[in-house]
Amino acid sequence: MPATSASLRRAQPLLGTFVEIDVTDANQRDAERAVEAAFSVVAEVHRLMSFHEANSDVSRLNRAASNGAVVVHPWTCAVLEMAVEMNRHSAGAFDIGIAPALQRTGQLPGGSEAWPSAASMPTVEAIELLADNRVRFLHPSVLIDLGGIAKGFAVDRAIEALRARGVRSAMVNAGGDLAAFGPEARVIHIRDPRSPGRLMCQIEVSNRALASSARRFDPYRSADTVDTAVIEPKTQMPARAAHGATVCAPSCMVADALTKVVMVAGKRAAAPLARFHASAIFVSTDGDIHTTSDWQGVLQHAA
Amino acid sequence: MADWLRWTASVAAVTSIAAPAYAAQYMSVEEAQKHAFPNASFTEVQAGRVWKAQGGGAAGYFYYDHVVGKHLLIDYTVAVGSDGRVRRVDILNYRESYGGEVHDASWLAQFVGKSSQSDVRVNADIRNISGATLSSTHLAEGVKKVLMYHASHFR
Repeated sequence: MPATSASLRRAQPLLGTFVEIDVTDANQRDAERAVEAAFSVVAEVHRLMSFHEANSDVSRLNRAASNGAVVVHPWTCAVLEMAVEMNRHSAGAFDIGIAPALQRTGQLPGGSEAWPSAASMPTVEAIELLADNRVRFLHPSVLIDLGGIAKGFAVDRAIEALRARGVRSAMVNAGGDLAAFGPEARVIHIRDPRSPGRLMCQIEVSNRALASSARRFDPYRSADTVDTAVIEPKTQMPARAAHGATVCAPSCMVADALTKVVMVAGKRAAAPLARFHASAIFVSTDGDIHTTSDWQGVLQHAA
Repeated sequence: MADWLRWTASVAAVTSIAAPAYAAQYMSVEEAQKHAFPNASFTEVQAGRVWKAQGGGAAGYFYYDHVVGKHLLIDYTVAVGSDGRVRRVDILNYRESYGGEVHDASWLAQFVGKSSQSDVRVNADIRNISGATLSSTHLAEGVKKVLMYHASHFR
């Protein structure tokens, strides 16, 4: 063990939010290098999976995969595999094919004025994952967005990069989707989704991941939330079960995806949560706060 | 299958919690310069705001700027390469507050000159937070403005 140990906290704007990396228990120089490497990994995931960037895997798939198989990065493949699995285990509550509805709500650019018709929308089943990282869409109108899962994946890869460089304790927080490892538990405060300037709950996280979904929010402009970020695939309308949901799971990709399942399915998310060894808290639209019985968080007390 | 518990009684207590302020210090300007242009020397072009970086294998310009909004203030730096493209963006400070402090000079003064190594525990706390996803759109707009300024002055 090096004689000097350092504590570093860095932040960069990536993935449409603020990505913060906090490293302790490594020497200063190594810690700096590890943090740099972790940010590059997050930037790489951003480049591969952004709906906005014309050369991302996601954009290439949306343009061409219905005309023939498109080769993507193994990471994109891994995310697509989890997306398909999550779709299956959540009875369709998680679906990456909701990009047209997100365009309609103004969260993604482009698209038509009309609400996509729920009946005619192809589901995730129209996505075919082939050998050698090739992907094909079986329906011409498939339009995917990985916004509901890629952030979690990026956090997992960043954690992996830090571990690979010998860091013994760290946290990566991509706008509330976070994971931590190391001997010490980290206290995470969870915003009240109805009023994100307030804190609702706190939970200790160690060697696990935590992710939240709620309406988006920009304290630069207002203390209030704006658009509803989660679409219910079955209706192609904004999710109605919850104001906000937070999920604790072994990986951040799983936690991230499961927050959408809870937002859409509410209490019916119990089975997929159990399937992925996850616990959750959510504020239902009638104002009640529900937690799974294994939720470890405690109500926030005023600081 | 997991069953659910309900935190009914707590709702009133939850909504009564005072609006907090958060602050995080990440880097000093000097540290950010070193990360953007390692081993370069910096010449101030505009006091405290714009530097020219030379030597050390990469040349370009370094900008220090902030975005300040209703409940948020962020100090950030943008490193622009000699090709006019963004090399990196770093956040130096992040301050979020719901008690009107963001526009209060004395609250802001607490942070002036603090490096990332300084322990800041004033009327704001360094916390780890999850919840509604924070949009970084305003920062992207800030970076765009810096690039426009750069294009019209140094290219």
